[in-house]
Amino acid sequence: MRPKLAVLARHLVLAGFSAAIALPLLWVLRVSLTDKLTAYKLPPEIGQIGLHNYAEVLTQYDFGKWFGNSVAVAVAATLVSLPAAAMMAYASARYRTGGWPLLLGVLASQMIPPIVLVLPMFLVFMTLLPVPGLVAITIAHVAVNLPFMAWIMVSFFDADTRSLEEAARSDGASRWQAFRMITVPVAMPGIIAAGLLGFIMSWNEFLYALILGDHGSQTLAVGLASMETHAGVNIAPLAAATLLALAPVLVLLPFLQKYLIKGLSLGALK
Amino acid sequence: MASIELNSVSRIYGSGASAVHAVKGIDLKIEDGEFMIFLGPSGCGKSTTLRMIAGLEPVSGGDLLIDGARVNDVDPAERDLAIVFQNYALYPHMTVRANMAFGLKLRGLPRSEIDTRIADVARVLSVEPLLNRRPAQLSGGQRQRVALGRALVREPRAFLLDEPLSNLDAKLRSVMRTELVKLHRKLGTTMVHVTHDQVEAMTMGTRICIMRGGEIVQVGRPQEVYRNPADTFVAGFLATPPMNLFPGRLEARGDSLVLVAEGAEIPVPAATAPGWGGHAGREVIIGLRPEHLAEAPEGPAPAALQLSVETVEALGPETILNLRLGRNGPEIAARLPADGDWEAGQPVTLHADTARLHLFDPATTRSIPRGAAHAL
Ligand SMILES: Nc1ncnc2c1ncn2[C@@H]1O[C@H](COP(=O)(O)OP(=O)(O)O)[C@@H](O)[C@H]1O
Ligand SMILES: [Mg+2]
Repeated sequence: MRPKLAVLARHLVLAGFSAAIALPLLWVLRVSLTDKLTAYKLPPEIGQIGLHNYAEVLTQYDFGKWFGNSVAVAVAATLVSLPAAAMMAYASARYRTGGWPLLLGVLASQMIPPIVLVLPMFLVFMTLLPVPGLVAITIAHVAVNLPFMAWIMVSFFDADTRSLEEAARSDGASRWQAFRMITVPVAMPGIIAAGLLGFIMSWNEFLYALILGDHGSQTLAVGLASMETHAGVNIAPLAAATLLALAPVLVLLPFLQKYLIKGLSLGALK
Repeated sequence: MASIELNSVSRIYGSGASAVHAVKGIDLKIEDGEFMIFLGPSGCGKSTTLRMIAGLEPVSGGDLLIDGARVNDVDPAERDLAIVFQNYALYPHMTVRANMAFGLKLRGLPRSEIDTRIADVARVLSVEPLLNRRPAQLSGGQRQRVALGRALVREPRAFLLDEPLSNLDAKLRSVMRTELVKLHRKLGTTMVHVTHDQVEAMTMGTRICIMRGGEIVQVGRPQEVYRNPADTFVAGFLATPPMNLFPGRLEARGDSLVLVAEGAEIPVPAATAPGWGGHAGREVIIGLRPEHLAEAPEGPAPAALQLSVETVEALGPETILNLRLGRNGPEIAARLPADGDWEAGQPVTLHADTARLHLFDPATTRSIPRGAAHAL
């Protein structure tokens, strides 16, 4: 039957894509459970599996500190940038502040490779803003993520919430009351989605954390990289550490998806 | 309770070459307790005017007065007017009860007072069973009622309604028309109702303000506007089918006036229209309402017209005939009782009530008044 065949074909294509994405992760999982020698064997072997690499990461390295630093930076950066980004998005959506050039500029700034900005950023923090590593990294993440988070939220503050706000204004609410009591709750899925995205971007960020941090302020991304020494790559514990670093993101992703979709379908609520 | 006065109020969107002059300096006084209708085609500036009154749109020029006080720069929250939007704009994250309570809480009313008012209004609008639902769980008609209820509990100085019925189906719309009129009679609060539906305009308002292209064309009581349309736009807009408008010529023949149109000559006793004498010999636009054509002579000065039937629309209680005047004349509509039996192609003689004929100046499209003796 034709329709069934079409469905099958579609699933085959999707399965192919999924495999392409999942394969490296599965490879890392395999490596993390074996030892260094088995890890490099081709064709791949499963060999003796166990959790010894995880134990090694947690005991022989500063994994706990890296994790703590990453949490601190990502949480702080998100908490600082989210309200500011929400207000920026609101201004852009409601009052056309900056107009389309601002929105385009924000988008364009996302296309600049981070490496271009790293040196100026480094100089700024060296000369103008000599703050401790974690604070510097947090500020850098706020600066980089805020415009993008605002850009994502603009559409959530568009037409639908506008007439709700007008209703609230006629009902006797001040601009601020209308924003706080009507617009923010209605746009909340979008705000949460932007916050989760900001958190994940900050969590994964490597370059600024590397340049602006010192030994005490290594985040996970930097710490993982440091496991690659000139003495060689300790591949099996690195794989274990990578998966541990990935865990929080994997936990957050379903929520991100849920709120993004919820936010995008806000229009249907009218 | 409030009177609303607009003195050369205008609204210009944008600036420079792309500026849109949405409202072009209109004058209007809405009396306290009046039910005023803003009627006009889409884009004529009705919503903009209403939104300026509500304070949601800045006034670009002129003065806006509520109860005699200039409110151009008064915040919408301070105007104490309630607006009902076409899309209802119910707060989606709140229950129906919370939607209604929102404005009252902001005003710091005591809980007991809020509960009483909501209970009263919910009973009047029959939305009591819905109070704990969210807007997403309501039908269109229920949302409309809740939006109305949210305005009613406020007991505002005036209600501003922007096409509140246009998203309802025909049956519900006619029910709500009646309910709104009843509500207005009961409350006596000023209401301004925007619509592009001429049935709403004719049946609901104490006065109609007809707008076109950002200007007011005519203001008056519904029957007044129906009887004496100020120009061809109003004549062609009000009622369905609207007034037949076709070109002709006014000629003086002895003591009598004759309207000569393609396919017909219509005598008009000069005494019934002293104001028209001065226009003899000129081109005019003739206006004849479909309901002023009849099979039997009717009115003080009937004139027979030879027509042929083009299409028949049997509506039940009445029949609309689309007819050709003479052999190649203009197409005109007639509204007749349903008991006739007509077929396409059939010739018919209908009598026009010439005492109810209208003439318009083709250059200005304005009505040419009949003058003092105009009898209806
Ligand atoms: N925000 C706006 N910016 C620019 N032009 C507008 C805006 N709102 C309305 N207009 C224009 O003003 C005119 C009147 O609009 P509106 O008052 O909404 O008409 P109506 O309610 O009678 O359909 C229209 O030509 C419309 O395109
Ligand atoms: Mg409108």
